[in-house]
Amino acid sequence: MGRKNYWFLFVIIFAVLSIFICINIPFQLGLDLRGGSQLTLEIKPTPEVAKITPNEVEGVKAVLDKRVNGLGVSDSQLQTIGTNQLLLELPGEQDPSRAAKVLGETALLEFRIQKNGSEQELRNLQTQRNSIESIIKLLEENNNSAQLIKEINTNNEINKLFEKYNFDTNQILELDKFILLRNNLNTDIAALFDSTSLTGQYLTNAGRRQDQNTNNWEVTLSFNNEGGEKFAEITKSIAGTSRLLGIVIDGMSYSEASVGRQFQTAGITGGAATISGNFTADDARNLEVQLRGGALPLPIDIIQIRTIGPSLGIQNIRLSLFAALTGLLFVGIFMIFIYKLAGFVSVLALSFYSLFTLSIYALLPVTLTLPGIAGFILSIGMAVDANVLIFERLKEELRNGNTLIRSIDASFKNAFSSIIDGHLTTLISCVTLFYLGTGFVKGFAATLGIGVVLSLFTALTCTKAILKFLMSYQGLRKISNFINLNQIPKPSINIQQ
Amino acid sequence: MNSNLNVQLYKNRKVVWLISLSLSLLSIMGMLICYKNPRINAPLNLGLDYTGGTQIILDRSCSNECLELNTSDISKNIIALKNVDKNFESNSSPNLTRSQIQLLDNSKSISIRLPFLSASQSESVVNEVTKSFGPFINENTSVEIIGPSLGKQLLKSSLISLFFAFLGIALYINFRYDRRYSFLALFALFHDVLIVCGVFSWLGYFYNIEVDSLFAVSLLTIAGYSVNNTVVVFDRIREKSIVDNKLSFKYQIDKAVGATLTRTLYTSFTTLLPLICILIWGGSTLYWFAFALVIGVIAGSWSSIALAPSLLSITSNKEID
Repeated sequence: MGRKNYWFLFVIIFAVLSIFICINIPFQLGLDLRGGSQLTLEIKPTPEVAKITPNEVEGVKAVLDKRVNGLGVSDSQLQTIGTNQLLLELPGEQDPSRAAKVLGETALLEFRIQKNGSEQELRNLQTQRNSIESIIKLLEENNNSAQLIKEINTNNEINKLFEKYNFDTNQILELDKFILLRNNLNTDIAALFDSTSLTGQYLTNAGRRQDQNTNNWEVTLSFNNEGGEKFAEITKSIAGTSRLLGIVIDGMSYSEASVGRQFQTAGITGGAATISGNFTADDARNLEVQLRGGALPLPIDIIQIRTIGPSLGIQNIRLSLFAALTGLLFVGIFMIFIYKLAGFVSVLALSFYSLFTLSIYALLPVTLTLPGIAGFILSIGMAVDANVLIFERLKEELRNGNTLIRSIDASFKNAFSSIIDGHLTTLISCVTLFYLGTGFVKGFAATLGIGVVLSLFTALTCTKAILKFLMSYQGLRKISNFINLNQIPKPSINIQQ
Repeated sequence: MNSNLNVQLYKNRKVVWLISLSLSLLSIMGMLICYKNPRINAPLNLGLDYTGGTQIILDRSCSNECLELNTSDISKNIIALKNVDKNFESNSSPNLTRSQIQLLDNSKSISIRLPFLSASQSESVVNEVTKSFGPFINENTSVEIIGPSLGKQLLKSSLISLFFAFLGIALYINFRYDRRYSFLALFALFHDVLIVCGVFSWLGYFYNIEVDSLFAVSLLTIAGYSVNNTVVVFDRIREKSIVDNKLSFKYQIDKAVGATLTRTLYTSFTTLLPLICILIWGGSTLYWFAFALVIGVIAGSWSSIALAPSLLSITSNKEID
């Protein structure tokens, strides 16, 4: 019996190893279990780029990767699906609209020089913008209060502005109305400036900091050598004049700066600039992320968003695990009731099976999702089936009057082809699903597939090893441990014809 | 318990066929009715995953019992967003009158179904509902937005993977057995999948139950399970036809089915146990998934014990009797 005990030893070592792995390597939980957001992005072709090739996808992905990292969500994942889609997972992120905004928007940064003779017009627009800025601040501080809005609405200057931009004043929230107004003014301001060759493509880094005096946030920029030279040249050309330098993002001027006389000889060198545009902390961060990420080579469209609350996930995992364990408990009771000692062996083998499977999930690692857990539960059903097939054969052999040891060997041999066929057909559908499916269908296929392979291993190896080990004890080697004695042996098989 | 149960499948084969035929017809009828129904307009009531749209689920934070809410009030407030929210300003913004609002789990949570919205539009809806009908447990809020093109794509990829999985299985059985077995195993598989689809088409028609991507997963699992079961019986028939080759083929089939009957019943039972546990305790997420599998396991057991072997007897070249 020595060789059989080696197998048993192997099984025990594997089991101990699995327990060690399960304890030490954390499971990777899918978004549906830990909460967070999932976005599917589609890359849109443009007239210039009519067909999206893997190269273009890579380009978009690189830019998005930078932006995603800028969002500061840990463990975020960005994968390509199909030919023109990207799947972004942001664990723990509960506000996908913020992510969507930062990801989807292209921040085109330009430095512009003020046109000659526009001084008066610019000053007017700046004054108007300042008063709108202070209204926005007031509304934000007072939570959009109705009293305040009433006062503001009686202001003639502002009503004129509304008229100028054709605002239907009843349509939208007051605060948003003023933000829109500011954007309109900023666009008009930008129109007073001429473009230069300095754009965001020369940017090497962007950052943000808070102004000590005003508490407003600023976005800081640094350029590469070429950009630094251009910046010096531009600032030199307007230093000491009345013309201003406009910092324009997406066609809106965020700040207009004068360049002091002291820069007349060399311009501002060192390749760094600051944009101070009355930013809030969030605005500054979003802008920083967009600038640092660079411009997207192609536009993207968000075609799917999923947000799942974390406590919902925990509740689901608890429920599912509880259901699975209870189901298994029933299966165990059923197996022992029907197959006695062999049933007990199968309960042991199934416990080992569960351990092995879980440790493989941790090792690979498999991302556990709710459908994944369903796949796991189903694979346990398959593992039980293999045992049932073997034990039914065992009973048959015993009823036919064979000895116990010979019956055990024969049962494994006879059940083998059924077990192989059943497992392989399931495996075929798992592999197909894994390659053709997307998202959580893939997760389900992966967990079920791993389960099927391991179930094949456990059924043919573990069950046998444990059974043989137990049979090496004389006291357990009784046919009555496997089958009711009144069922055997039948002297001959009757065939009714 | 006798080892070789005395099954008289051949004698009762017409009853078996009648049962399967009427179940199949009933399923096809259900799918036709769904297809003709303007609300569904497809053989199955397709869910958000396949049609695209927005689903928002909000958990109400009420201490003991949640007071009833009038869903039409919520609907009114959402429709009103069109006039007060800048996210819905443009003319191309989605039609908010097509909202479906349901109270779930004893009014503890609210489910809102809308056409495809953008992230900021869905945020506006959440804000509006929170303002007027809150408080909610913000942490539990779930928002799902699926674009219409993605839905079609998912449907297509589900169908393609189903097709290739079936093809793979057919090729394998063809290789292991022969064309006849392969054809019948696939026939049994289609029978099982058809019945599950039929049950869900009726559920969709009467109770508005929808099928999602998880349903496609369950169909594939059922396909695998069905073939697995059929193959085990076929394996036995082949074995009997070698061992008891003096018997006529119809008795070989009867005996093989008798020999595997206990196993099939036990296996179905042990597979059903965890599934039933999920139905009872698994929460709402996996409920219909488990339900589809329960139907599939029952249909799969039936087709592998009764339908496929009884059909084998007519396709057989061997002399019957």
